Amino acid sequence: MPEVKIIAKNFMDMVASLPAMKLDKLYDNAFICEAILRSLPPLAKKYVLQMLYIDSPITAKSMEVWVLPDGSSKHRVAIDRLIQLRVFSETVDRRKETTYKINPTFQTNLQKLLTHGEVLPREPMPSNITVRLPSVEDLDVYAIGQWECFLLQLISSAQAERPSNISSSMMKVFQRGLLSQRDKEAPRLTESGFQFLLMDTNAQLWYIIREYISNSEERGVDPADLISFLLELSFHVTGEAYNSNTLTEVQRNTIKDLTDLGLVKLQQGRKESWFIPTKLATNLSVSLTDSSSRKQGFVVVETNFRLYAYSTSKLHCEILRLFSRVEYQLPNLIVGAITKESLYNAFENGITADQIISFLQQNAHPRVAERIPTVPENVTDQIRLWESDLNRVEMTPAHYYDEFPSREIFEAACDHAREWNGLLWEDSKRMRLVVKAEIHIHMRDHLRGQKQ
Amino acid sequence: MASGHVIKRAKYKTSPKGAGTPGVLKMTENKIMFKPNDPTSASKIDVEFRSIKGYKNTKEGSNNPPLLNLSLEQGGSYIFEFENFLDLQVCREFVGNALTKSGDAAKAKSGDTAKAKSGEAVATSDRSTVTYPDEQLISSAEMELRIKLLRENSELQNLHKKFVLGNILTESEFWATRKKLLDGDSGTKSKQRVGFKSSMILDIKPMTDGRTNKVTFNLTPEIKYQIFALKPAVHRAFLNHVPNKMTEKDFWTKYFRAEYLHSTKNAVAAAAEAAEDEELAIFLKDDDILANAARQKIRRVDPTLDMEADQGDDYMHLPDHGIFRDGSKEITDSQHEQFKRTFLQDLNRQGEVVLEGRTIDVELEDPRTVAEALAQSRQESDENAKQERLDRISRMTEMEDLQAPHDHPLAPLCIKDPRDYFDSQLLKISDDTRAGSEQLRCSLSSEEAYGSLRGSISEIKAMGLSDPVVRPEVAVMVLNGLTQNISSTKFQLGKNAQESILNSLPNTTKEELLHHWISIQELLRHFWSSYPITTSYLYAKVSRVKDAMSKIYPQLEEIKESVPSDLRQQVFLLVRPMHQALDAAFQHYEADLQKRSAKSGEKPNGYV
Amino acid sequence: MPSAPTKLYADDVSLLVVLLDTNPFFWSTSSLPFSKFLSHVLSFLNSILLLNQINQIVVIATGCNSCDYIYDSSLSTNPGIENGKLPALCSELLKKLEDFVTRDEQLNKQHSLPPTTTSSSLLSGSLSMALCYIQRVFRSGPLRPHPRILCVQGSSDGPEQYVAIMNSIFSAQRSMVPIDSCYIGSNNSAFLQQASYITGGVYQKPQQLDGLFQYLSTVFATDLHSRAFLQLPKSVGVDFRASCFCHKKTIDMGYICSVCLSIFCKHHKKCSTCGSVFGQAQSDVASASNLKRKTPET
Repeated sequence: MPEVKIIAKNFMDMVASLPAMKLDKLYDNAFICEAILRSLPPLAKKYVLQMLYIDSPITAKSMEVWVLPDGSSKHRVAIDRLIQLRVFSETVDRRKETTYKINPTFQTNLQKLLTHGEVLPREPMPSNITVRLPSVEDLDVYAIGQWECFLLQLISSAQAERPSNISSSMMKVFQRGLLSQRDKEAPRLTESGFQFLLMDTNAQLWYIIREYISNSEERGVDPADLISFLLELSFHVTGEAYNSNTLTEVQRNTIKDLTDLGLVKLQQGRKESWFIPTKLATNLSVSLTDSSSRKQGFVVVETNFRLYAYSTSKLHCEILRLFSRVEYQLPNLIVGAITKESLYNAFENGITADQIISFLQQNAHPRVAERIPTVPENVTDQIRLWESDLNRVEMTPAHYYDEFPSREIFEAACDHAREWNGLLWEDSKRMRLVVKAEIHIHMRDHLRGQKQ
Repeated sequence: MASGHVIKRAKYKTSPKGAGTPGVLKMTENKIMFKPNDPTSASKIDVEFRSIKGYKNTKEGSNNPPLLNLSLEQGGSYIFEFENFLDLQVCREFVGNALTKSGDAAKAKSGDTAKAKSGEAVATSDRSTVTYPDEQLISSAEMELRIKLLRENSELQNLHKKFVLGNILTESEFWATRKKLLDGDSGTKSKQRVGFKSSMILDIKPMTDGRTNKVTFNLTPEIKYQIFALKPAVHRAFLNHVPNKMTEKDFWTKYFRAEYLHSTKNAVAAAAEAAEDEELAIFLKDDDILANAARQKIRRVDPTLDMEADQGDDYMHLPDHGIFRDGSKEITDSQHEQFKRTFLQDLNRQGEVVLEGRTIDVELEDPRTVAEALAQSRQESDENAKQERLDRISRMTEMEDLQAPHDHPLAPLCIKDPRDYFDSQLLKISDDTRAGSEQLRCSLSSEEAYGSLRGSISEIKAMGLSDPVVRPEVAVMVLNGLTQNISSTKFQLGKNAQESILNSLPNTTKEELLHHWISIQELLRHFWSSYPITTSYLYAKVSRVKDAMSKIYPQLEEIKESVPSDLRQQVFLLVRPMHQALDAAFQHYEADLQKRSAKSGEKPNGYV
Repeated sequence: MPSAPTKLYADDVSLLVVLLDTNPFFWSTSSLPFSKFLSHVLSFLNSILLLNQINQIVVIATGCNSCDYIYDSSLSTNPGIENGKLPALCSELLKKLEDFVTRDEQLNKQHSLPPTTTSSSLLSGSLSMALCYIQRVFRSGPLRPHPRILCVQGSSDGPEQYVAIMNSIFSAQRSMVPIDSCYIGSNNSAFLQQASYITGGVYQKPQQLDGLFQYLSTVFATDLHSRAFLQLPKSVGVDFRASCFCHKKTIDMGYICSVCLSIFCKHHKKCSTCGSVFGQAQSDVASASNLKRKTPET
């Protein structure tokens, strides 16, 4: 699903599109620098690293010397991205020679990171104050639970088990583009909505975060602050408790929203309240690059088109329902079948065969994930065949005429239909013809005229 | 050999198809002479065996006349047609013996007979102990392969030209070290034998033209052979009746008349016809030989096995079951049963014959020979042969050509690019010059050394990492240095070329050096592989190789002298290992020679 | 030459195994103080971890008498509250390194060998350890980072380790692990040159030791994914000389057992590796000049 990935990755574009002033201000924060560095293409990372202790401009030519002919496009992409993010500044001197210089703030911050190590954004609270801290496993369960609950609510508000405090206007923002609602009808998922559901969690998360940030100005929050807070959050340690007092008012509001997404868990002590970042939050800076951390799959597809999903998640069930017929639902197992009808349903909703197949492959149960192919070939082939079946016949509403009184009238009718560009088929031997439905009126008028 | 010479009547031909000149062929121990009957004819031949490279002959049983083809060293060939295969056989043996005998003489290459004589002179001293490579016995296919290899590999061609044509190495010696190259093709050849066709010959169908009542059977030699193999009774009848009682054509006509009756499934008509025609009855009746064989087989079945009990288990009698042949169900009919063959019988017989495989190995053209050969092979197949065949079948079922080759191919030892070796020479020297100084400085005791190491660690623990790690000026300098290094390797030499000392030399010098390098390698290989010298042949070879090497030696010196002085040092480095290798060889040669002469002094009877 | 398996993995995640030379005899003579060296290398290690959250670093110390793992970023605890002076990585590594040096010294005392014989480090040992670690990672799961080995070596080659090192090199080649070498000694190292040449890694001998970090970050920080697009420095020539198995001398010419390819500087009656009996030329005369019969008679 190439299209979708672009949506998810565009977050860095959003950062890049911030005004220069705000962008430069972002780099004051060492965490942002680190997060930005990690989000760069591999080649760009190398360029930053080799420029780390160089304070004079480096000519573009000398950098190109290192690039092999195959890599020139990659080199271009890397340099463009660096310039976009204002990590490198480009100058063309009098002799028309292009030189690059690294952003000094960015440089100093990274140098500090190298020699002094990371300084935590916040001191975690001492354990004698915080009580009942959840274990890492509990926290993971909590995070995934929150996230799935949010997704369920997103696709159909009725199904959510408990209402979250995300405002309905906020929800509307998220649903924009994913759901389409016609008057008096239940909202339906749009094409991109279905695709969204098939994405992996990190991609989904970034999609939502992006929407959240782009909407921030309407709420009176500076997107740059929000970005910097989110990136900073990703450098907190999972499972540690941090005092809410250290947050600004805006950040405190944001934290509440993030709680609903499962990024943090809020806890209230006797006197103080604290927040605990979950895996989702700390993964934020990871997911900027390709997602290398993959969650465990749960789906087994058999050659007989049966599908076993070892999952307790209602959301998974909903996703599977998008393209398969769910037959049984046991406490930890969903059994379904991929049928022609269920697939036609999915195709109608704009899901493509390739999306379904890649979903099945990416979420394959570890037992089958080792096998090649992960999804039986006959199943993938059949899914593709069924999809191409839909494109085999093109339907055109039409009208059929026969029993013409004479050949002249038939010929004239054919010519007339041709004039309107509506002749679909003719059989001059038996004097029959088929025309497009929309020119039926013209044909009728024409034939009436002929009769008289 | 019983007699020192052979005289046969033969026709001399220049091509297999030509008419040829009749005359008398006389072969003595080292000569071939042909005298035409017509004394005026120009095609008189008088050649020595040593100029004969090899021979080919036609096989008995093929429809070719008995031909013997002697191919000449200089190219071209003599072809003789004999009166019968017996004569050919005698001559062929004679030629074969003569060629092996005149082995060393044949080693002389085209035109250079003087050299060949000298080789012979050395070899004659102990002729009986020396075995010579039978290079004249190489097939023409191998010859072609060699020529092809030479043509494809110019380096090889150069070596071949230099050493083989320069009489330093013989053709066979040259190729002996390159067996791998020659073997390449032969390994892929399929060893699978052509088996017996598995299509049901018993099902041979007549073609009708639709208008008349005439039916046509198509008959090929292959089909005839298959019929013989499948139906022993027909085979026997053929041997008995053809050509004494009836012609072959009549025989087959009769056979197919019987076949036709079978195919009509008209058992009554078949019975009627059989009553009229005795010969026809043979074809129509059950094959008694097969029946006998079947009875024997049944007798061999474990007596505890109740075959009767299974007889009804084939569901043949039930509706919707049974075997369909030609679209109709086969029904066993008790009456006239002897005139009916069941499909199952046919199938079993076919299977048996196919598994037996092709037992004869003759041309299929003449049915009479085929029939005889088959009869012979049948007689041979007593119990022993059967066992053997069973073994073979079990082996063959392994599908030989699907198996991995039995001889495990050796991975040839590969030095990536011998030229890289040259580079290391330069490097080594530059290292060696500096090596001395380091050893001296390392004079601290181990306590002090370890102490200072630990001191450094605690220092960095206390102080932290130096900030900045690199001074900007140094960083720029390093980066520029690296960039320059990259750009120099990239643009001077292109993407793939390794930077090498060789490339800095003028082109002619470079090529000369490489050529000498390869030559020396080839010669050294032959040189060392000749030791220990056990035969005078090897002795001669070693001295030839040594002479060739000593010729290269001064040539290397010349190269050293000829290069401009600024490159002399580098060329010196390149030439040095070559000289060293040659010196080692010469030294060994001398030492060996001395030892030999010392020994021969003790034992005056010992060979040279 | 094996190229990096770029297709198997999606991106630039690396597993870098760094072999640090801690030979005290080398460092006492080196123009670059050990503390400076550590500061360059530690900054480099930090930068690798900075590039990608899931990059992994393993550090192995190569001593004179022993080798040991001194740091593994996958095992390191979360960056706790530190004094802020040193990155978390460093303090952990330095502590282990100190322990290692002490242990190595004790071993040295036990063996009580004269310092001249121990002037080379146990590169073969640390290479084997690195390869073992990588093999374990390979087998632990389907998601694996691109592994590579970086030798930061200063002391000269120990010819006695020739066989072991060559075996490690070939095993690295087989598992497609490139060995990069940064040689900071005065001469070139034939072992490391061959290692990098055979495995497709980079061999570099920095000219300016005070810019070591720059060499490391410019050349050796390049992940395998990016190497497909970049031209990295190539060494001018590779010293392909071998060491003989009998006296561990580096030789140009020698005798090779045609059965097991063992190398000897002198003629032997029997191959010490595989036991093949080398024939004598001709008969019983066992003179010193009666040298060369390369094919064994068995």
